[in-house]
Amino acid sequence: MLNAIDKKVLKEVADLEGIPKGAYNIRKNGKLEGREVSANINIETNEKGDGIVIDIKPGTVNESVHIPVILSQAGLHDVVYNTFIIGEGSDVTIVAGCGIHCGSNESEGHSGIHEFHIKAGAKVTYVEKHIAIGEGSGKRILNPFTKVFMEENAQAQMELTQLGGVDEAKRVNEATIGAGSVLLITERVMTEKEQSAESRNEITLAGTDSKTNIVSRSVIKGSSSQDFYVNLTAEARCYGHIECDAIIMDNGINQTIPALRALHPDAELTHEASIGKIANDQLMKLMSLGLDYDQAVNRIIQGFLR
Amino acid sequence: MLQLQNIIFKVPASDSGKEPQSEQTIINDVSFTFEQGGFYAITGPNGSGKTTIAKLIMGINALTQGKIIFNGKDITSLPINERSNAGIVYGFQHPARFKGTTFRDLLSISLGSDDEEKLVNIISRVGVCSMDFLDKPVDSKLSGGEIKKIELATVIARNPKVAIYDEPDTGIDLWTIGPMVDLLKREQKENNTTTIVVSHNKTFLEAADTLLLIKKGKIAYTGDLAGAMPMLEDLSVCTFDELCQGENDAQCYR
Repeated sequence: MLNAIDKKVLKEVADLEGIPKGAYNIRKNGKLEGREVSANINIETNEKGDGIVIDIKPGTVNESVHIPVILSQAGLHDVVYNTFIIGEGSDVTIVAGCGIHCGSNESEGHSGIHEFHIKAGAKVTYVEKHIAIGEGSGKRILNPFTKVFMEENAQAQMELTQLGGVDEAKRVNEATIGAGSVLLITERVMTEKEQSAESRNEITLAGTDSKTNIVSRSVIKGSSSQDFYVNLTAEARCYGHIECDAIIMDNGINQTIPALRALHPDAELTHEASIGKIANDQLMKLMSLGLDYDQAVNRIIQGFLR
Repeated sequence: MLQLQNIIFKVPASDSGKEPQSEQTIINDVSFTFEQGGFYAITGPNGSGKTTIAKLIMGINALTQGKIIFNGKDITSLPINERSNAGIVYGFQHPARFKGTTFRDLLSISLGSDDEEKLVNIISRVGVCSMDFLDKPVDSKLSGGEIKKIELATVIARNPKVAIYDEPDTGIDLWTIGPMVDLLKREQKENNTTTIVVSHNKTFLEAADTLLLIKKGKIAYTGDLAGAMPMLEDLSVCTFDELCQGENDAQCYR
């Protein structure tokens, strides 16, 4: 049964008021809490018993699957291996995410290893939100690992969000993009207090006319730190762009290291990166519309992390 | 209604050769009263201090000396947002570009409401910017003209008592300048908005009831356009007035 805290966590990570419609798998404190499959989306525990396999039939369109994880058990460090097989020509949305509720001084953590096999012509939107709440002083740790294999002419849009509360996060995204396929990654991370977040991305444009756009938006408050690394490698005629922006507030620190590697003469790779405080002209504009300094800062950050 | 009383604005001199304490005077003892519902154009050569005067009124830059009185109240030390809430709004010459913030966001802040009907109403009222703009991010992808139209809309949406537009025609195509002047005139008439336009554009200068010609941080002339024309024509070609010994002098730089 889901208690009030679980429901709050579910609302935050998956925008769910209760049990979702359609296929879902809810994992709570390392165990299966509930599962529902649909005619086109099958969910099974994997052979090792340490995760699930989500199999989406070819041609499945306009369906979604929710796979939230709730963690509220003191001292638990949950590791899960999930595999997604997105069938040819399907068009689906996957809503994942992990919510930690920490009520004690013991640390709690979750490492989700997600492997995506996106078949030819498939289209997938993957939404992953991480949050941590609770009055406990224990560390909240989230280490997501995402591996993406895209066949030809597939499209994947990945929205990866972590807005506060998480003390330590080490994210790895790896992707191999096939011919004519498009991968869009948007990562939004806000850290505060003494928190730290690291994101490492290894993206390979492997097929002819493959495309990627990697966007990172970081807000670094308090004495927190964030590091963002991307290695974008082109092995064919392709197009890739990296855009990383970091807003530093208070005493935050940031490293942003985008790297472009063209191993093919027709590769077209670009990057733009910026680190700095909130631009003064933005603040002046919003204040000239009647907002005070703090309200103006909040609105700018809200827009930036949207 | 809006009084500038002996305002002075100085900045540290940028010339490294000078003493560290040396200052450069940008606005030098300017006094002027803007009357309720008047249409004013501030013009003058580049670097004369036009934008600085506008920013001093809005509170973006703080006065070095002098006072600004608005409807009988001394607003000299009020921050930007309080001046805005008192009814003064400024349209920037180079509007800020954001990441993620949309025109809808800015307009909602300006209106104090995100009600769809009200947003659509204001866009119709402004006329010069398209409804398609509403969900566009106000970022570097917008053209110079688009962002100026958005800027204009956010000023008008606040129903200001004093609206200051800093070079509103920058980046605007020739065909939009006429409708833009009509819009500002309409807002002035219907809402009795005191309108101050910083501009070099003759269309705006012609539309103004009163023209302020700024030269080297001082008001060189106030009055109608006809009276300013000889000075404007002179300024438009000659920037050597400090060295000038008369047009007919053999050493004339023109």
